[in-house]
Amino acid sequence: MAGIDLDNVTKRFKGTAALDGVSLTVPEGETLALFGPSGSGKTVLLRVIAGVVQPDAGRVRLGGRDVTEEPPEDRGVGMAFQNFALFPHMSAFDNIAAPLTARRDAPSVLKAGVERVAKLLKIDHVLGQAPRQLSNGQKQRTALARAMAGQPKVLLLDDPLRNVDAKLRFEMRLELPRLLAREGVTAIYVTQDYREAMALGKRIAVLFEGRIAQIATPDEIYHAPATLAIAKLFGDPAINVLDVTPERDAHGPFARLSDRRAPLDPGLAHAVGRACVLGVRPEAIRFVDAEAPGAVPVTVEAETPLNEKTVTLAVTRRGRELLISRPAGAPGPATGPAHVAVDSVHALLFDRETGARIAPEPPGGAIRGAAA
Amino acid sequence: MTGQALDLDRVSKIYGAGGAKPVRAVDRLDMDVRAGEIVALLGSSGCGKTSTLRMIAGFEAVSEGSIRLGGREIHRLAPAKRGVAMAFEGYSLYPPLTVRENIAFALKAEKASPAEVDRRVAEIADLLDIGPILDRYPSGLSGGQQQRASLGRALIRRAALHLLDEPMGQLEPQLRTLLRGRIKFFVKEHGLTAILVTHDQTEANALADRIAVMEGGRLQQFDTPAALRDRPANMFTGTFIGEPPMNVFPASAALSDGRLRLSLPEETALDYPQAAFAPEVREAILRRGRVTLGVRPHAVRLDPAGAPAVVLANQWLGDQTHVAARFAGGVLVTVEHERARVAEGDGVGVAFAPEDLHVFDAETGDAISHGRLLA
Amino acid sequence: MDHASPLERILRGVALTVVVVFFMFPLVWILLMSFQTNETILRSPPSLVFQPTLDNYRALLGGRLVGAGSTLQVSYVQNLMNSVILSVSSVSLALLLGVPAAYAFARFRFRGSEDIAFTLLSFRFAPPLLVLLPLALYFQQIGLANTYIGLIWVYQLIVLPLILWIVRGYFEDISPDVEYAYRLAGHSWFAAFRKIALPLAGPGIAAAGLLAFIFAWNNFVFALVLASADKQPVTVGALAFITASGIQFGQIAAAIVLSNAPTLLLALYAQRHLVEGLSLGAVKG
Repeated sequence: MAGIDLDNVTKRFKGTAALDGVSLTVPEGETLALFGPSGSGKTVLLRVIAGVVQPDAGRVRLGGRDVTEEPPEDRGVGMAFQNFALFPHMSAFDNIAAPLTARRDAPSVLKAGVERVAKLLKIDHVLGQAPRQLSNGQKQRTALARAMAGQPKVLLLDDPLRNVDAKLRFEMRLELPRLLAREGVTAIYVTQDYREAMALGKRIAVLFEGRIAQIATPDEIYHAPATLAIAKLFGDPAINVLDVTPERDAHGPFARLSDRRAPLDPGLAHAVGRACVLGVRPEAIRFVDAEAPGAVPVTVEAETPLNEKTVTLAVTRRGRELLISRPAGAPGPATGPAHVAVDSVHALLFDRETGARIAPEPPGGAIRGAAA
Repeated sequence: MTGQALDLDRVSKIYGAGGAKPVRAVDRLDMDVRAGEIVALLGSSGCGKTSTLRMIAGFEAVSEGSIRLGGREIHRLAPAKRGVAMAFEGYSLYPPLTVRENIAFALKAEKASPAEVDRRVAEIADLLDIGPILDRYPSGLSGGQQQRASLGRALIRRAALHLLDEPMGQLEPQLRTLLRGRIKFFVKEHGLTAILVTHDQTEANALADRIAVMEGGRLQQFDTPAALRDRPANMFTGTFIGEPPMNVFPASAALSDGRLRLSLPEETALDYPQAAFAPEVREAILRRGRVTLGVRPHAVRLDPAGAPAVVLANQWLGDQTHVAARFAGGVLVTVEHERARVAEGDGVGVAFAPEDLHVFDAETGDAISHGRLLA
Repeated sequence: MDHASPLERILRGVALTVVVVFFMFPLVWILLMSFQTNETILRSPPSLVFQPTLDNYRALLGGRLVGAGSTLQVSYVQNLMNSVILSVSSVSLALLLGVPAAYAFARFRFRGSEDIAFTLLSFRFAPPLLVLLPLALYFQQIGLANTYIGLIWVYQLIVLPLILWIVRGYFEDISPDVEYAYRLAGHSWFAAFRKIALPLAGPGIAAAGLLAFIFAWNNFVFALVLASADKQPVTVGALAFITASGIQFGQIAAAIVLSNAPTLLLALYAQRHLVEGLSLGAVKG
């Protein structure tokens, strides 16, 4: 039985579609990361599930039950808001207790329930304080505790880590999956940060302009993105994009990079002659000696050391900019001329016009082609 | 223009002074900003960074100390007389004016010619990607667009100092990365001096020449991004800067048989030949006895021969993997550049090279040594 | 803020003093007058030195004004009671009706909601005399003239729009997410209104109630036309002090002091709470 099931959900605001026929299913107990640029409809979708926004068309089913017409209080959904939305006139305890008071639990049950989630989220020492006395991290944890206190079957998390600092965000990113698994809850996690999406989602739904562009595991999205736009969103720095037109010789399909032959996946033979875009991740480019096979001459222009890696901006002879990343501490060239090798076999190929990825044909097809 | 642009001398901000509970939002802050420099005030909410910025701008009175801009004492002047331009976190655009008029409005005081105004507005619009929305009104814009317009209104001015309060908080990540580079280039090209307030260390790292880390109203460290990363002055800076944050563990140090032994909780121990540490570093550590050990996640190596740890989580992020492990009674995080094939519950070994160890005083939190160097 | 030069500061002090004297002088003068007899008030030149007397207050509360050669019966205490009854009832009714309406206007965008809200506000623009005459005729025919109910009803024209517009603004300032969060926890929308929206808008409701009370208390023209002696509030009742045999300045002053005291005290008492309520969470790092 599906935890969350959306069927063709559509919502328009003043004529423009915020959600355009969204259908998706989240199996019970699974966490789905909902990722997309701002204005893509992520928050609206979450609010439709919560029941605070009414869809114009489509059905919302939770645990198999059609709740499209039900008010939010009857849906049994917990939600954490991006701006926390704590009740400013109540203590942290009363905030967290809200789902339990709604059920008119006995005071002892209520206290036990609040303390259970408070302990889980490590805020049991601040329960008596008012929200304005809490630090940002404590506020965020209180909001999360409130969403989870009623042990809802469905948990909706609207970018809950956006407004907390890096340290807390990282801590919560590590902690959340275990917490969600322990509660056995079906969750949707909205985020603008692709790393959070990859770390937290069993699967990721990528939303563009109110439509789902791809829904797949982090692995598939990273290695086989449906479109160039998706590939650009996953990765920091973003994927390098090079216009190419694949050619073919006795060794199989290849692309021309600075007049060097850059071999492509043998399964891409069908793309020969098409106007394409080659997507190469910054970590798939390495600095090599001039004599190395396939070495492309470049000029190194600038270097940005980040925490865990170093990003280099290099320009090819034809003026194409390449971003190259290597682990922090690994040796790299000084500014000036250098040579790079591009792992073109594992690079991604997209149609230049539609942006759709051109998938390599399975080896079976390639063998048959060779036999003919 | 070179030399000192802004000088804060023991500046304090006290709220409710004379009342029952005066709050020192900023506590004796000493800071100097050189002309042409970009400085970031970095800290979590309530650390005093916004109060500091507002004192420089003139929206808050200075309780103690003095502020000089270009050698002139300004902390008693009205905001308009300070020669300071500011971009607000809350946008604060004039609603009845279009974006173009809002941005051009800042040039009124300069009495620039219409052609000059047009040219500079176009330049700013190009820089911030707001060309298409120049003739729209603020009420119809998204948060990110309003923020860029507000930023444009500040950057277009030729002020002695530009103050930017969380200038990119509302922008989406892709645009933010792009604009950081462009704004830095613009500021440098025009020789502007800027102070940026942010809680986002990536932003501070990307934009600033020097970063002032604040906490509890006090300046913790004021240095270049590289120095903050390699030589944090104390535990606070050490764990605040860096993503993922630095791993820290309590340890006690002892010397035996020519080896330096660092004992961690839960019977975990790190053992180094004493020559791995510079003599003065070794001496400083042994003198304290009890210390706090810090190691950056990307400096942790997974090594079967290392100290035992149990994997708690393995999060693959495409270009890197974050592995969290239970180690010495705490959680240890490592960054791997390959995809790590370990699962929750697996036993692994971890090792730290002595040159990657940051050692802090267990009581004060002040840094003792960074690798081979004394702090 | 403290960016002023010494000269600016002195000028600012002088300006403030002028303003304070200008506004406080009539109040202080009235207070002093209320403790004087007509003779000492009218002497020339006026003097601040006099023998204080409570006669004016005694006469007011006793209901007998002793003028030059004549005695006048007044029902000042009755007038005061009428003021209290009319103001308290009309403000209570307006809160009861206005707060839920304000919430509806703030939260729900229904067809014509802006028009209805504006129509209600426009009652404040209309000159009262414009509606008074027809109203008086209607009231006489349906028997509402000279009744508390009739007056309270008419007072709604003054207080309801005020409360509606002020409180609506406060409700709009509360993030709807806070209420959604309460409903998602399983509480009905009415519970969210009662437990979240009402307490958070509390300071605003208090401010609006106070303002409405002052407006109702000070109203003159509605009561003048629609109420006869036994239902008159103090504002109208004070007219009686202008007698054929002269104006009783001392007693008028005492009447003004007594009638202004409730609103003044209320404002002073509520001011602390209002400021507290409005400044919550104003400090940011």
